Amino acid sequence: MHIPDGILPVGVTAAGYVATAAVTWYSLRKIKQKEDPRQDIPKASLMTAAFFVVTLIHIPVPPTSVHLVLNGLMGVLLGYYAFPAILIGLFFQAVMFGHGGLTTLGVNAVIMGVPAIVAAYVFRLSKIGNKESPRKDGVFGFLAGFVAIGLSVAMFVVILLTSLPADLNAAVEQAAIFALAIAHLPLMAIEGVITAFLVVFLRRVRPAMLGGV
Amino acid sequence: MKLGIDEYAGLDSPLHRWDARYKLVGLLILVFAFSFVRDLRVLLAIALITAAIYIISGLPARFILRWLRFPSLIILVIVLTLPFLSGETVIASIGPLAVRQEGLLAALLIAVRFACIVTVGITLFATTSLLNSIKAMRALGLPLIMADMALLAFRYLNELGQDLSRMLTSMKLRGFRQRTLSPGGLKTFAWLSGSLLVRSYERSEWVYKAMILRGYGQSSSRPQGEFQAHPVDGFILGAVVIIAAALVTADILLGHNIAAILQ
Repeated sequence: MHIPDGILPVGVTAAGYVATAAVTWYSLRKIKQKEDPRQDIPKASLMTAAFFVVTLIHIPVPPTSVHLVLNGLMGVLLGYYAFPAILIGLFFQAVMFGHGGLTTLGVNAVIMGVPAIVAAYVFRLSKIGNKESPRKDGVFGFLAGFVAIGLSVAMFVVILLTSLPADLNAAVEQAAIFALAIAHLPLMAIEGVITAFLVVFLRRVRPAMLGGV
Repeated sequence: MKLGIDEYAGLDSPLHRWDARYKLVGLLILVFAFSFVRDLRVLLAIALITAAIYIISGLPARFILRWLRFPSLIILVIVLTLPFLSGETVIASIGPLAVRQEGLLAALLIAVRFACIVTVGITLFATTSLLNSIKAMRALGLPLIMADMALLAFRYLNELGQDLSRMLTSMKLRGFRQRTLSPGGLKTFAWLSGSLLVRSYERSEWVYKAMILRGYGQSSSRPQGEFQAHPVDGFILGAVVIIAAALVTADILLGHNIAAILQ
């Protein structure tokens, strides 16, 4: 779900870089407000590497397979580190595997990273009320995963179809948006379920990780 | 996991010798100029420039094929469907499908721009070690937190990749076979991912302590001393910027009027 090089006009790619620079600047500002911002860098970095590796796992969805994105969980676990982490992950994916692209790095970071921040806030809602339960973790974990990937898909489809260097008529465009959205529904459900399982797992094994980096 | 982008970084070519900071700036400006192109004649020019850059880099031809052989699904879908979906001028018919000129040209534009940008981008990062590329970004103003995160993440990518493949092997040895989608299977994948995340979290605590012992956090200066630019580096950068400006100007002057050329 990364937009490759060559499709988007330069205005959109440049706007993507500007938006990415702004969100990165804001994230880094929030990180620097911590007492010792450097203390969390190794944690955020190794988690970035771990998330990168986890996205290589392919889950069979017959007749094909999907790979995990987990940007919702990145938001939940990394907080303000999530956006820089996703930007770095996308850069490595672009230069190592050719997924995504260099000119589209900014746009792709917005598509994946902004929903991660939204997911962090969605999951934070689970802290309302003082009763902790695996079911509550599971429900908000599912919502975080589902909402994050849903937002990513929506942004991806809209940016892609409105930026093609060709005129599609409205009917074709609507059909394409509908088809792409339907095609991604299983992925959204899988991401939600896996994020829910993961949140419950981490609450049991390492609850400190859910407190954010 | 194969991370072979910089396996030819040790070759000797003018591009390998070019200062990494200048190369980063120059070639990024060039790929952005490529993404500006809409005119068919300028498209031909960027294909020639890309070929020239790749030949100068001395990288083997099969190396770039690794990235171009399997273009992403999106590129394939767009390039294969646009000629039938977009535009009004029908130039040929394949059974019930009409091939339209505007869609065909848009597909050509996307395919060539994609190939050129990917080739120049890969050449940029294949002719310098990834470590040096990140250092060059730091020297150009990448925030310290980002540079540290990128270097550390890069350092552990391979190890965590090996961890994952070991875990997958042991799952298989214990009889895990996942061919259909099931809640139990998803739970297993979630726990596999969770174990990897917990491992890396725990390892990061040791890494931080080891880094502190080695004096991490004592200096935050930019690594300017690591790069020594020669006048020729600036000269090449100037030439690349002029080429990029010429491409953009030519494209504007020619007015993107690709349809008119074919008529």
